[in-house]
Amino acid sequence: MAATNYDVLIIGSGASGGMAAYTLTKKGIKCLMLDAGPAVDFQNNHVTKPAWELPYRGLGNPSRLPHVVQANEYNANQWVDEKQVPYTHDANAPYNWVRVRYVGGKSLFWSRMSFRLSDYEFKAKDHDGFGDNWPISLADLAPYYDQVEPIFRVRGRKEGLKQLPDGNFIEDTTSWSPAVQKFIGEASKRNIPVTKMRSSLGRGQLASSLNLLLPDALATGNLTIIPDAVVREITVDKNTGRVTGANFLDRHSSREMHAKAKVVVLGASCLESTRILLNSGIANSSGVLGHYLHDQFYITQSVQAVMPEVRDKTAPAGYASGGGYIPRFRNLQTKEKDFLRGYAFDFTAGGTPDAKFFPLYGKALDDALDAHRGTGFTGTCMGSVLPTFENHVRINKDVTDAWGIPVLHIQARYGSNEFNMAKDAINTMAELCRACGWEVLARRDQPYPPGYSIHEVGTCRMGDNPKTSVLNKWNQSWDIKNLFVVDGSSFVTAGSQNPTMTILSLSMRASEYLAEQMRKGAV
Amino acid sequence: MQALAAAPAAPALLAQQTVPAPAPEVAESAPLDFSIPDEGADPISRFFSARQFATLKRLCDLLIPAAPGSPGALEARVPEFMDFLIGDAPVQRQQLWRNGLDALESQSQTRFRKAFADTDAGQGDALLAPLHQPWSFEPPDEPVARLLAAAKQDVRTATYNSLERNMAASGGKRPRGGGGLYWLAVE
Repeated sequence: MAATNYDVLIIGSGASGGMAAYTLTKKGIKCLMLDAGPAVDFQNNHVTKPAWELPYRGLGNPSRLPHVVQANEYNANQWVDEKQVPYTHDANAPYNWVRVRYVGGKSLFWSRMSFRLSDYEFKAKDHDGFGDNWPISLADLAPYYDQVEPIFRVRGRKEGLKQLPDGNFIEDTTSWSPAVQKFIGEASKRNIPVTKMRSSLGRGQLASSLNLLLPDALATGNLTIIPDAVVREITVDKNTGRVTGANFLDRHSSREMHAKAKVVVLGASCLESTRILLNSGIANSSGVLGHYLHDQFYITQSVQAVMPEVRDKTAPAGYASGGGYIPRFRNLQTKEKDFLRGYAFDFTAGGTPDAKFFPLYGKALDDALDAHRGTGFTGTCMGSVLPTFENHVRINKDVTDAWGIPVLHIQARYGSNEFNMAKDAINTMAELCRACGWEVLARRDQPYPPGYSIHEVGTCRMGDNPKTSVLNKWNQSWDIKNLFVVDGSSFVTAGSQNPTMTILSLSMRASEYLAEQMRKGAV
Repeated sequence: MQALAAAPAAPALLAQQTVPAPAPEVAESAPLDFSIPDEGADPISRFFSARQFATLKRLCDLLIPAAPGSPGALEARVPEFMDFLIGDAPVQRQQLWRNGLDALESQSQTRFRKAFADTDAGQGDALLAPLHQPWSFEPPDEPVARLLAAAKQDVRTATYNSLERNMAASGGKRPRGGGGLYWLAVE
């Protein structure tokens, strides 16, 4: 059987690749999609197991996933095996690269927090003078956010905040619990906004490319998906300089194949797309491919407080429950002395603090935990990271993965801006808790290593200038007109908002542009 | 090679197959009842030295003592489990445990002139004083404090997730159902 001559080869099937397929196939464009991982039957691929049945009693194999803090014995099989697909970093600069290789990608497991970026991010340089603006503004992307949010069924409440633009929401009509109302009262005294969480409801168990994008794309008859296809490199016609497809290996057999298409769309995730481009030796006339790696620094359990009014079950039912979101409030109208940009929090009330926070053991610890059931208040801090040229990835030719493909060396560190911001964030949250009359058991103002948030972006940045950016404002390679990169690698700056809605919207926008260019014969 | 030589015969065998008569209706058999190694066998400890293991056993007993109807860490064979877990861990974690157990034993000898394994409740509590300090996300530098912070978490989880503890909570029977969602490996 001769291979079909496809219009577009899409590499990756997660949020960005899935949206590219969704958009292009509906316009009658024949697409071939490759994903490095297997297809999964999400409904039937997990079972309920008690922890005592697990070989490591729930603690997990201690050597299996040293960089994946999120891993436990229950979810260990979700993550990419670090021995099969290694990467390197300097010993004193750890990087936690957390990866998923399944059809559907990380969209199978994401937290579903669904925000828009604002012009405080798109035009960040105009606001504070650091780095670069995006070549687009919120007005350019808003029509695509408007379309993406209903597909993912984003629930939220319109708040009218410039730094957290409202969306096309399913209205959140839930009320605040009394404990959260108390917190909001103290926050408002300090001009700190609190919003309802904005979250993708999806359908059924999932809010994923796998159930929201790929089925529609397949239904057009214009999409072919090949799982277990590990892309080694993108191929180029030496005469024209145009990309012609990709060489890939079958995950099981390592049989090497070539997929041919008129256009290549990369959506393999920020660092995997960058790795493919670097291994292909293309799209880097600017010299910035692989640079400007950034994310959001995360501090989970940044402040752990207890509410004394709930202790020993003294509060009425429902007093302490629910949670919310604090959007960025620093460096908007005022200017901080120690750091640029800002941070956000998501918080929850009503949990039980972990045993580690109590300075007790034995029966005394059990008694304390009983007394503190439902008394907890905690928040995760999500801070903006400055994109810098120095934070970068490059190919390490001395190390290869299980298919003989050279791996990435990641060189990234947080700097004083991030550390100062983290201190301010945790001081602020601790002060709010104390103002509520709550006891702060523990606080952490040191971010986890870069990568922990799984929001890595920026290594294939877009821009107005081909000398300082890899992509133009349509996610199209400056160097190769029939090459597009539609994942988070195209970000110029990430802000403190979770990136998935922006990735989806950028991919839809780029794909519509590509379809129009193909219609005109301009690609 | 034998498998390859046998392969050509397969199509002929398939062609000879006839449609079997319908099987008589039988009742569904009960699901098979499987267990785990801990229920039917004894662990073999290999990682810690005899002295370290004795220190570990006393530490586990202090952290999660038995209570009526509630097995403690010793009944849940947590010391033996920790020997396996830490033996499988990266070197840094192994050093944390070995150095911490050695330091705990040394402190016991210095303060009470006896092995930590032989300390009474009061002496043991005095040596576990770092656990009465407020929690910090920054791991302590001192080896005993560092060990205790790690052991408090791991020993607790290993005990609460043990078959023994769960059977006790289920009236002595192996519990059915419950637990978390386990993501299966995909090949």
